[in-house]
Amino acid sequence: MSKEERYDVVIIGAGHNGTTTAAYLAKCGLSVCLLEERPECGGSQETTEPIAGVRIQPHAIANYGGSAPGWDQLEMWRYGFRMDWKAGAYVPLDLNRYMLTTDGLSKVTDVDKMGWGKICGMLTEPMFFKDLMRATFWCPPHPPEVELNDHTIPFMQVYKQHQPDMWTRELLEMTMFDLMDEYLETEPFKVNQAYIALVSGAHGHMEGGAIPALCSVATVLPPAVAMPVAPRGNIHGYYHALLRCAIAHGAIVRTCCPVEEIIIEHGRAVGVRLRDDATWGAKKIWADKAVISAVHIKPTFLEMIGPRHLDNGFLQRIKDLSLKGGSLYMAHFLTRERLHVRPKYQRDDYKYEDYGSFTGPFYPMDSRQLYFEHVTEVLGHQRSLTIPPERAMYGMVASENYAECHPQCTRPGLHINGPLFMLVPTPQYNVDGVEAMEDKAKWDEYMRVALSQVVDNIDSDNIVQIFSDGPWDQEFRNTGMMGGSWYGIRCDRDQWWNERPLPELARYRVPDIEGLYLSHQSSAHPGGLCLMAVGYNLMHILIEDGIAEPGDWWYASPWYIPEEGKISAIPHRPASAATQ
Amino acid sequence: MQKRELTDQPHPQCFFSEFPAESDWDAVIIGAGPNGLMTAAYLARAGLKVALVERRYEVGGGLATEEILFPGYYSNIHAIYHLMVDYMPVVKDFELDRHGLVWIKPNLQTAMVFEDGGSLLLTRMIEDTADSFHKFSHKDAVAFGKLMRNWRRIVSEILAPATYIPAMSPIDISVAMQRTDIGNEMLELVEQSPLEVINKNFENDRIRALLLYVSCMWGLDPRETGIGFYVPLLLDRGMNKCYLHGGSHKLAGALAREIVRAGGTILESSDVTKINMNNGHVSGIELMEGRTLNSEVVISSLDPHTTFLDLLGAEKLPADLKDSVEGWKYDKWSYNTLHVLSEEAPHYACGDSWVDESFMTIIGFQSTDQLLAHWDNVVAGKVDDNSLGGHCTCESFFDSHLVRKPGRHVSFFQIHAPYDIEGGWDKRGPELQEAILAKWAKVAPNMKRENIAMTSQETPVDIEIRFPNMRRGSIKHGDYRPVQLGCFRPNQDCSNHDTPIKGLYLCGASTYPGGLVLGGPGYLAANRVAEDLGVTKWWKPTKEMEQYTKTYLE
Repeated sequence: MSKEERYDVVIIGAGHNGTTTAAYLAKCGLSVCLLEERPECGGSQETTEPIAGVRIQPHAIANYGGSAPGWDQLEMWRYGFRMDWKAGAYVPLDLNRYMLTTDGLSKVTDVDKMGWGKICGMLTEPMFFKDLMRATFWCPPHPPEVELNDHTIPFMQVYKQHQPDMWTRELLEMTMFDLMDEYLETEPFKVNQAYIALVSGAHGHMEGGAIPALCSVATVLPPAVAMPVAPRGNIHGYYHALLRCAIAHGAIVRTCCPVEEIIIEHGRAVGVRLRDDATWGAKKIWADKAVISAVHIKPTFLEMIGPRHLDNGFLQRIKDLSLKGGSLYMAHFLTRERLHVRPKYQRDDYKYEDYGSFTGPFYPMDSRQLYFEHVTEVLGHQRSLTIPPERAMYGMVASENYAECHPQCTRPGLHINGPLFMLVPTPQYNVDGVEAMEDKAKWDEYMRVALSQVVDNIDSDNIVQIFSDGPWDQEFRNTGMMGGSWYGIRCDRDQWWNERPLPELARYRVPDIEGLYLSHQSSAHPGGLCLMAVGYNLMHILIEDGIAEPGDWWYASPWYIPEEGKISAIPHRPASAATQ
Repeated sequence: MQKRELTDQPHPQCFFSEFPAESDWDAVIIGAGPNGLMTAAYLARAGLKVALVERRYEVGGGLATEEILFPGYYSNIHAIYHLMVDYMPVVKDFELDRHGLVWIKPNLQTAMVFEDGGSLLLTRMIEDTADSFHKFSHKDAVAFGKLMRNWRRIVSEILAPATYIPAMSPIDISVAMQRTDIGNEMLELVEQSPLEVINKNFENDRIRALLLYVSCMWGLDPRETGIGFYVPLLLDRGMNKCYLHGGSHKLAGALAREIVRAGGTILESSDVTKINMNNGHVSGIELMEGRTLNSEVVISSLDPHTTFLDLLGAEKLPADLKDSVEGWKYDKWSYNTLHVLSEEAPHYACGDSWVDESFMTIIGFQSTDQLLAHWDNVVAGKVDDNSLGGHCTCESFFDSHLVRKPGRHVSFFQIHAPYDIEGGWDKRGPELQEAILAKWAKVAPNMKRENIAMTSQETPVDIEIRFPNMRRGSIKHGDYRPVQLGCFRPNQDCSNHDTPIKGLYLCGASTYPGGLVLGGPGYLAANRVAEDLGVTKWWKPTKEMEQYTKTYLE
């Protein structure tokens, strides 16, 4: 029981990114130990059944990672992964919907559709959509010696190659609104897309955020994934396949094993020490090749490594990493009757209830003024919801119907709706204090009133129970979400790609500590969402450092530039197999 | 074979490979509860290409540790008292401790508290129990010591190992047991009812009530003859219950990992709609999503009704089997469990501070008569709010991992309750919640309303909703009565895990040796399938099983 263990790689944190990394490395033949502090793995990729027969998603819901190399590189289908496609619901470029505004429905026009199709790479033959996604998310930052400009930045290369009329310097300076103003027509459609970007972690209203924000939206809509977009078994089912890939290749997974310290000797990360209450008896686990932190960057440096090994300047910069990026308040409504959309939002040709997931209302999409009001409230004022709920912006996915073979509510006579999600201030910064975040009844009522702008029967007669988790709950349940922040740290120009989380950490390595790597949404590009991207990007670096030697199944990002003096992550193979 | 139409079609630009519409397997196992998981794990490691399918989004069945005190707190909503950790082969065969499975076996196993402040303790160490009994009866204290030493032998030498060896007919059992003194003692117990066994050996009413509760709590009729041997078994095991640190679900996780390591595949959210037959032989299963898994070996852990009537179809069954399935009786009682989140761990106002640290505490019964009356009520479909009783555990006392937000405690109070309760669960549920809290606060004053932050009650109807195979809230998939036990579970054709249907096997709680997490049916089914297919078993019997075989069967 007190025998200490030794692996090639020890990974701290069995959330999405830690597990993706474990799968890749185990598939390379390395011995991997994946440590998770909670009794259940998965991080935010969780599904739960709080009362019998009712299934909810407290965090991640959608499969944003449709374009990931991981599906085929890791052969996810082999480990049980299946999407939920809905026959007939997919039609190319079918944004045949209306946006919801305070006045009623606003039709998405042909200009909107074609414009969106164009900027997302769907109008060329063949589409370059997938390349655009991959260039944005699935490519590690360039080495520091490479100058970043409109020739070298991957998504710029993609536009230059496939749609040169779009390729201008301005793309790098634009906000998402600037870009949409050029190509799309209706304001509500633009606001809708900007809002999806916002709740997906990208602040499209910021300079330089246009393409990352655009891609954060495109990656969860057709053609990356059809509507509805839920994996079979919900988001946790997706996670199971990822975890099982790691296990099938020999990774050892231990739960109830919180790590207290990353052991550093002579400038090298050599292992971890578990907290005393870990269930595993041997508290020290050694790593011959690498320790990878797949937990939040703040506890990684501030607690697990600490001032013994880091200078105060660096520690200050870690402390300064902003959690302001936003937290989402999630509310699931269990009701007696199906939710009924108000007459001014009803259509003959499209019934929300027929489609379930992801066609629930995003509201109100009137104008960017409302968007900015919302953003200011959350990020600027940081008060608890002073905007009246009638004007509050939110999104909702109606989770009940999205697969017949996969019911979300088997409790007779009841319906589960949601989650409704609304961006709210991160507790750490809430001007009214952390206590103001804990009045769940008040927040639940606020959400209900907000939803009632669109739905006419979300009242106390119809509501049986509300299952909600706010940022404070989220932080306690899942320490990967400090401050309840869904994206780790803010996704903006200062914390994107080669700046994320800090320039010297952008390539997943930690200067002055050998053998230590970062693999979390808060510590690595591209940040949040379940993309299998951080792990994929990190693989390039681990190959460079001689730690990972993948087989024929591996291919590097086509836009990856190897670092001088390192092993290239591009496999030496006949040219035909260079890219999928 | 023609490609089946999938329920959903991937969209035209799907970027990645999907699980095939049709696939071939050496064995398909239906239901990823503890038994299905074990069967799949043994066979996968034996080299078979195994698929394990599960309706729910999560594996484990009754090995469920779930966030019903949402958000932030986890409860073991079914299995929590693990009775057979000392004996189930799966623990050593898979070296489960490598998975970080740590079993906590406290000395303070079961307490019983009375409203006058009295209390009793059942402990792992016999002497501590005897000490506690001395408070009420010196005779019983001494008797208990003597009796348990003998009864422990009956358990460790006979009943425990027999759990993992195929069922035998009553005659064969009789002949085998007559070889030894303790075997004969065991046979004498078989003749009796639990009440007879206890009344014969103990005089004090409170001690009798404690022992009766522990012996019958899993669903035994105290007055039924033919099951007296459960008294030593469940008392001994009831003094050796283990808690799995991190929650019962960790056992499911460890088994799932073993399956995957050995090359097996697990499909969740995969409801099975049909067991296919071809030329009188099983040929595979259909999933509701439209996928087909082909195999000549299908092993079902589900209840008999689902397996034989829903998935196969009555017309495919020989007459005897059909009658047996249609006559199958579900558990005589189910459970109503109130889970609470409280500001403090329950503190019992009785003379014994050890009671607060006990794994399980029985509350509400002041006498054997009251206990029997409660069970009679339950079997008749009623619960008397004033004279109910049950058992409690403060889970977080043993496991801080259940509590994500420190400072509070997770406990439950569980009572035996009927599925068809008079008045209906919609009405009676809230009433019983109040009655339970009142009972609890009576003996643990700090469990008053103001200290309760959140509650969540799972009624027998909830059990069935969450786990449809626990029909009528039957956690064991079928009543424990002599005609449904041993070689009769579920019937003489199926108790050794094969069935009259070629290629169809059973591995669930409705087969020998029965329900709860015994590690029995799943293990025996794996053995049976391996034998039938001529597959080498990589596992060996435990030393208790070897000794039992040598002494009684050879």
